[in-house]
Amino acid sequence: MNKLKPGRTNAEERMNFVEYWAEYVRTHPDEDWSKQQKMLIDSQLQNARKSSLSAKKYLKMKGELRK
Amino acid sequence: MKFIDKTTIQTDKILTELDLFVLDFISILERYADYVIISGYISILFGRSKATEDVDIFIRKIDFTTFTNLYAALQKKGYWCLNAEQPKDVYNYLADGLAVRFARKKETIPNFEVKFAVTSLAQESFHDKLLVKTAKGDLFISSLERQIAFKRYYLKSEKDLEDAKHIEEIFKEKIDIKKIEVYKRMIEHE
Repeated sequence: MNKLKPGRTNAEERMNFVEYWAEYVRTHPDEDWSKQQKMLIDSQLQNARKSSLSAKKYLKMKGELRK
Repeated sequence: MKFIDKTTIQTDKILTELDLFVLDFISILERYADYVIISGYISILFGRSKATEDVDIFIRKIDFTTFTNLYAALQKKGYWCLNAEQPKDVYNYLADGLAVRFARKKETIPNFEVKFAVTSLAQESFHDKLLVKTAKGDLFISSLERQIAFKRYYLKSEKDLEDAKHIEEIFKEKIDIKKIEVYKRMIEHE
């Protein structure tokens, strides 16, 4: 597996990580990468739930508040 | 994660809370409408290391009676619509080509952003949809080439370009580059 390339900008850094992680996913068993993905996503969703964002605020934020 | 035939992908991933949310919602929706999942969730389903607040989905247009039954089934299973309460109001938004959002009761995130497939591009996404088989249920998603083209040539944000890259890298031996070019031209002419 290739090493993670450092980027010169934030965008390049992020894209390099996307490539690196995609290669990891492609070359490792589903159980391996998905265990790591689950930790990340489940904790982000739990944090989002704790924030108790109201529908009104959320839709306003998305520019979708209709009367 | 692999293609088991031309239109079916099998994944043995350990499902996230987001995946389970999607599978649960789909198990209700599919009884009332044809659907296809599009956009960011697809790259997440295939391993992208990020979450999303919403899951985008096209459904084929259904009549008001069918929608009312769908809405009642969603409510019964603990979902609510963020945009309106009365089924008629929610349906009117959809009929006007607007998206409506559904989440679990007392929650806002994550949510499903549901839209009728009205444009020709949206309707065509049903023709070459893919079936994804997971340990706890199956899902229909838009074709990988469509996703890449839509994200790279229509949405174009940093996040969308990254999603496109992820899908392209994961399935690089299966992606049809010529198809992406065709969709790119369709997007430019839409």
